[in-house]
Amino acid sequence: MSQRKRVSTSQSSSQNKRPASLSLTATNDDDDSMFTLPSTSQVLKGLENLTEEQVYQKTAEVLQYFLVRDQKKIPIRRADIMKHVVKDYRNIYPEIIKRTARTLDQVFGLKLVEIDTKNHTYILINKLEEPEGMTSSSGPANLKSGLLFVVLGLIFMKGGFVRENLIWNLLKKLHVDIGQKHNDFGDVKKLITEEFVRQRYLEYVKIPHTEPVEHEFCWGQRADVEVSKVKILELMAQLHKDRPESWSQQYKEAHSALSTSSQATSSSQR
Amino acid sequence: MRKSKGPGPDTGDDAEVEPDEQQDGDSDPGQRREIRSKYRELICSVQQNREDLLSPQNNHLTEVLEKANRLFKDVQQTREAVLDSQLLVVTTDLGKEKASQMLSDGTAFDHIVFAENLLSFMGLNRLEEGEEEQQNGGAVDGYLPQDAWQRVAQWSQCCFKTAPTFHYMMGSFHTEPPPPKQKVERQRKAPTKEVKRIMPTQLKKMEESQHEATEKEVERILGYLKSYHHDDPTSPISYYEFVIDPDSFSRTVENIFHTSFLIRDGLAQMYLDDEKLPCIAPSEDVEGATADSQSRQQCIVSINYKEWKDLIEVFEIKNGMIQPANTLIE
Amino acid sequence: MSQQMDNSHRKFLQSMMTNGIVDEQRAAMLYQQCCDTYKTKCLPDKLNDFIDTINSKLQPLFMQIRKGWSEEDGQQHYALVNVAETDISRMSSDYADYELVLFRKTIELIVVSETGQASSTDILNSTDTMTTKKLKKSETEHLLNRLVRDKWLTEKRGEYSLSTRCVIEMEPYIRTMYQEQLKMCHICHNIAFQCQICENPTCCIKIHNPCVARYFKNKSEPRCPACDDFWPHEIPEIHQPLSQSK
Repeated sequence: MSQRKRVSTSQSSSQNKRPASLSLTATNDDDDSMFTLPSTSQVLKGLENLTEEQVYQKTAEVLQYFLVRDQKKIPIRRADIMKHVVKDYRNIYPEIIKRTARTLDQVFGLKLVEIDTKNHTYILINKLEEPEGMTSSSGPANLKSGLLFVVLGLIFMKGGFVRENLIWNLLKKLHVDIGQKHNDFGDVKKLITEEFVRQRYLEYVKIPHTEPVEHEFCWGQRADVEVSKVKILELMAQLHKDRPESWSQQYKEAHSALSTSSQATSSSQR
Repeated sequence: MRKSKGPGPDTGDDAEVEPDEQQDGDSDPGQRREIRSKYRELICSVQQNREDLLSPQNNHLTEVLEKANRLFKDVQQTREAVLDSQLLVVTTDLGKEKASQMLSDGTAFDHIVFAENLLSFMGLNRLEEGEEEQQNGGAVDGYLPQDAWQRVAQWSQCCFKTAPTFHYMMGSFHTEPPPPKQKVERQRKAPTKEVKRIMPTQLKKMEESQHEATEKEVERILGYLKSYHHDDPTSPISYYEFVIDPDSFSRTVENIFHTSFLIRDGLAQMYLDDEKLPCIAPSEDVEGATADSQSRQQCIVSINYKEWKDLIEVFEIKNGMIQPANTLIE
Repeated sequence: MSQQMDNSHRKFLQSMMTNGIVDEQRAAMLYQQCCDTYKTKCLPDKLNDFIDTINSKLQPLFMQIRKGWSEEDGQQHYALVNVAETDISRMSSDYADYELVLFRKTIELIVVSETGQASSTDILNSTDTMTTKKLKKSETEHLLNRLVRDKWLTEKRGEYSLSTRCVIEMEPYIRTMYQEQLKMCHICHNIAFQCQICENPTCCIKIHNPCVARYFKNKSEPRCPACDDFWPHEIPEIHQPLSQSK
């Protein structure tokens, strides 16, 4: 029994080391495709057969799983949650997820978001804003987020899609040459086209009918919920010594996105 | 006119006559070829002149579409229609990009200005104004401070609602039961009671592992002895030739040491040949070796560096008979 | 009994996640900032209660904000730790399995050493005995750098020792694994790695450097508190905890 558990954990850890393309083919989605969400009455029935302690315990495990898997910021698949933690409790899965989200909110100030409702992947985002002047307390910022800001900012300001070459071109002007190993970022091309993509900050898409094949970038599902367009626009204005409103289109988009997402946030609270 | 080739690039596949083309009674293959060729030309020019077509200053994109419309009038077969749709995809793509440019009405975002401003923010130490900038095609040169990206990261942190992550060490690996015995292999600064307490175990451990190593080496050397003997059972093996390694005095000493175990354990025997020189042979060939166990004794042959040198010369030893154990590693 | 958490608690916990470990001053400062930000009452002497509230909610999640002391300067620290080894906790992806093997070997070298340190050479040599992936020298060095960066080890002139964070979180592990080899500080009764040792061969008690400083303060002739022999080591200065921390 414990032997088997060991095997499964080592598998999952080795998966993390593998490139995304490989792990996609390596994990079988059977688990999830065969899973249909239990109905409310099924959940209620399932809860009847379990003690409150058992449900509580399982919720704690699922929460721990989220925290552990979030270390790498790669979205967490429902299929994996089922396979590694929920296991025999799948008949009350909706209840467990509900409770987990509540604890994440109430204890950690984090929000559980299903970013891909088709493939059922989740991420955690922060509900608490970084207060002014407190940035120093959270330690040095993650350098990669600076690079991410530049890339996401450019895409947003350029209307949502940017050709790969334009990004490399911009980065080169910022002394980040994708042909060379960078002091802070290492292999920059890999970081942008693989890591950021796997984390779903970016989408890297082939432009149809290009010969040789060209790619463009747009915001990924994680960026849509985790990154504030309003704030990006504010910083852009600050940088260009201009007002955010002068980019009328971007301004409109940022503020329409804000209203929808803030609604979602407030409705899920409590 | 009909039979003549259309202008523009002629691609190889046009030359092939496809079977289905023969069956199409009502359309002229020549005309079709011409239409295809013109479509390809159009697609190609759109792809090559992207930036030009994107410019808000002209109407080239519309012109392309008009051309396509004229071509489409003569299209009757699927193959040509496919090309038409291909062109449409390319132009739509461009149209989308052009539209997104237009939307930002007048205040289009210029990535070159963005880069300039970011560099200033990052604290770029610009070089003297000069030719260098021109040479690098507009790329600004200068030195960025060490913390350039740290500045950007810190400044832009407010854009991210990233959840903090939890990192830990305890519990990240399987805790095996504690080791039964102490493993101490460190050199200590000053001898203390603790060292004394640990020493016996340490020595014992070393002895044990030494013992194992010796056993292995003895066996290995026996292997050599047996194989030499097997190759030519009639000629005696000179002891000195067997143990001396002309390349290494220390290995010679080791060989002598290990060979002595062969003698002690009765696995090999030494005898003097006609010239009173010591010879060695594996025991199974020496009569009465096992029975005569009382007479067995371990003989230690002493050797110093000079003697080793002399022996090499006297016996004219070029190669050692016992290969060093760790040749591969060395 | 246990108080409810509000945003100031949550923000404090988030900072603990980001930092892993903070010293006493930093914790007090964070407490203040969190309360200011969310307009809650901040009573400077109630930091421990504030942390207890968080801990009461963390307990079922196998987590804890644990107090400990730095062996180096005797300062009190707070570290956010994981308290249980489970199937899920082993899924942590910060370090690969073979990297963890080397980390454990390093702990072992440090625990059994007299000085509470292991030299980079010793650690490099210990990779030879690894049955998992063999690490190259450069890989080992890179890993050691990461372990220092992530605050699991500290390094001084090529000698590695266990960081305060590591001692606080890993103490239960070290106690189970090396029960016999461990020595406690004669003064504070916590595990002693980096410390001074009585040179009387029948005594050999250990005392942390900061404990030495406090114990021998104002004593004209330092004598071992256990055997009364002369204490031959240099008596360090008492660390002044006024620093605004790094």
